[in-house]
Amino acid sequence: MSAGAARTATAVTVTIARDPALVRTVRLVAASVARRTNKDEEFVEEVRLAAGEACALLLGQSFADGSVAPGEPVAVRISFNDTLAVDVSTSGPVDVVDHPDSDVDGVEPWALLRGLIDDFSVGQDGDVTTVSMSWPL
Amino acid sequence: MDLSLETRHEDGHTIIEVGGEIDVYTAPRLRDKITELVSDGNYNLVIDMEKVDFLDSTGLGVLVGGLKKVRAHDGSMRLICNQERLLKIFRITGLAKVFAIHSSQADALADL
Repeated sequence: MSAGAARTATAVTVTIARDPALVRTVRLVAASVARRTNKDEEFVEEVRLAAGEACALLLGQSFADGSVAPGEPVAVRISFNDTLAVDVSTSGPVDVVDHPDSDVDGVEPWALLRGLIDDFSVGQDGDVTTVSMSWPL
Repeated sequence: MDLSLETRHEDGHTIIEVGGEIDVYTAPRLRDKITELVSDGNYNLVIDMEKVDFLDSTGLGVLVGGLKKVRAHDGSMRLICNQERLLKIFRITGLAKVFAIHSSQADALADL
């Protein structure tokens, strides 16, 4: 952070229903928060893509699994201070690897996220799975 | 911005001009359009992505699926994309080597 560019810690949490149409809303919020870091548009674009991908993956996983109630929400927390962090979480079983027989025509979304984000992890706390990603500022 | 799809035929190829966002919500519409075109006998497709604002892995999956469909009929699929933010996604996923990616419609149609 450059001297004089005072930055206060910011955190925004968005919770969406299991509707793929709402992933776009998450991307818009993520991009908006990322722009507040004063980094370039390439950075904003990466955060936008990552937040949307993680969100879509957790939505899709639960749809495919069928064991999660349709109304189960996905929560996305975007925060920044010394780093910009995006945490996407939902409850229920989540498959966090790409399978050759998954219906994505050979594209591996988890591999895309892992390739895109240096600091990427998937955590499990009881029934809740959280995809955590962060970028240094 | 939602997804927009415009189709036209030129020089024996079918050009789909895509605009807006190709994501988990909108990608099925692009998949349906490609499926419809292939079912109607259009096996040489050009997907113009110049007006695409956003592309995620679901969208990439639809493009790969489309490529498989046209290749099953000895057809082809060319992409038009000159936006670095989209090209980066093709590179990360290794798909830059799978697709013929051109910078303009003139370039794509000239390389037939």
